[in-house]
Amino acid sequence: MRGVMIAGVGMVKFGRSDATLSDLMSAASLLALRDAALGDRAVDGVVVANMGAARINRQTAIASALVDRLQLFPATAETVENGPASGSSAVKVGFQAVASGMADVVLVTGVEKMRAANNLEATDFVASMSHPEAEYIYGVTLPSLAGMFARAHMERFGVTRRHLALVAIKNHQNAMGNPYAHIQQPITMEGILESPEAVVNNPPIAEPLHLFDCCPVSDGAASIVLVSEEVAKGLGGPLVAVAGIGQGTDTHAVHEREEPTRLKAVEIAAERAFGMAGLTPDQIDVAELHDAFTILEIAESEAAGFFGRGEGHLALERGDTAIGGKLPINPSGGLKARGHPVGATGVAQIVELAWQLRGEADGRQVDGARCGFAVNFGGFGNNVVATVLRREDR
Amino acid sequence: MSVDQVTAARCEACGTVSYPGHDLCPHCGGDRFQAEAIDGEGVVLTFTDAYALAVDFETRFLRLAIVELDSGLRVTGQLLDDAPEIGKRVRTTVDVVRRSGDAVHRGLQFVPI
Repeated sequence: MRGVMIAGVGMVKFGRSDATLSDLMSAASLLALRDAALGDRAVDGVVVANMGAARINRQTAIASALVDRLQLFPATAETVENGPASGSSAVKVGFQAVASGMADVVLVTGVEKMRAANNLEATDFVASMSHPEAEYIYGVTLPSLAGMFARAHMERFGVTRRHLALVAIKNHQNAMGNPYAHIQQPITMEGILESPEAVVNNPPIAEPLHLFDCCPVSDGAASIVLVSEEVAKGLGGPLVAVAGIGQGTDTHAVHEREEPTRLKAVEIAAERAFGMAGLTPDQIDVAELHDAFTILEIAESEAAGFFGRGEGHLALERGDTAIGGKLPINPSGGLKARGHPVGATGVAQIVELAWQLRGEADGRQVDGARCGFAVNFGGFGNNVVATVLRREDR
Repeated sequence: MSVDQVTAARCEACGTVSYPGHDLCPHCGGDRFQAEAIDGEGVVLTFTDAYALAVDFETRFLRLAIVELDSGLRVTGQLLDDAPEIGKRVRTTVDVVRRSGDAVHRGLQFVPI
């Protein structure tokens, strides 16, 4: 297998956008291609990550549309759908193409334009990932699966709503330094939990989870250019290697899992990614975790191996996961505040890590970061992709 | 799907009961199953009150739960209990759980014992 490097990255600001789906993916792709400064070198393949264009935007075969927008003929083109883990799955597909030698340069772009749907439709679109007969018909939504997971986890490990609020406050604060974030609004413990107004400011979504425990519904796109090690060495700019990718799956119906509080697919994905990279969790300097719900940042930080089981909330409380702490988590603001255009999220995590490892994350930089780690969580944890990046010396 | 009972799948080879059913047994890989009604008592493993509702629901909130039956089988359904708690004992019933246009869906509900 050949080494694969990230030659360029780019993304558009997440949030509510008037641009079309094609405009979004094209804009992010152009930024990544310009960042890569490929010169005369052709793009061999395009992989687009997307979950809902067919349903929400009435557009299909969007990878081919992107080749046309950017005049990349005769580049190969595929769209990858893996729920909210589509982004990292697309990165994996691009990685495989370069690592195998089938391609030297692959553009990977994640895109979602969810605000085209109303809230009810957007919730139903995401809920359609759940098991049709054993979950969906009961009115199960992703927030309700997260609510049930949160209650079981909190009861077992002594996590409180205050811990969940600490995740939200940290990630909102981090996003203040990220110009690409959907939400740029500092929040306080008083405002979302302790004051009489908190009941109004922070209504329940799926108890014990409230509004500020949940990511927003966003439009957005993010893009990276993957190249072979050989091509990367011929280009200028810093070298960031895709050092490891791991993936794991778990049961479709959440109730079938061995333990209601265990994220087994995260454990497997992380172990495989670390194994491939030849690194251990304590060698990671910065992590982007899939905090679609605050409880997930805590639970994933344990399942990935950064903290012991039931100790993630204690590390959070100590400030270990803040920028400047032992392992900063979600310096970008995470899904909680950067936003969660589902197909774009996994790619945006890699874009953020690349910026961090290149020392270009102005306003939220983790000092001296050389190794980064991401978890992209599909379904409610039934398909998870973990990625390890490493800064290389020239 | 309009049913009077919700069924799990018992593997004819090893006897493992799965819900929902799969095409191959999670335990032994067997591919022949007997349908078996889900019916009985158990405990609430976890629950939520969902306020951001799915389409088709017009209540203020929907109380959902995962229950572990005494047989060890776990199921998801609607919890009809005004004082829910983790560990509380409930029994299953089957009733209308969703109306979607003309379609009426029947499924599992849990009531306190």
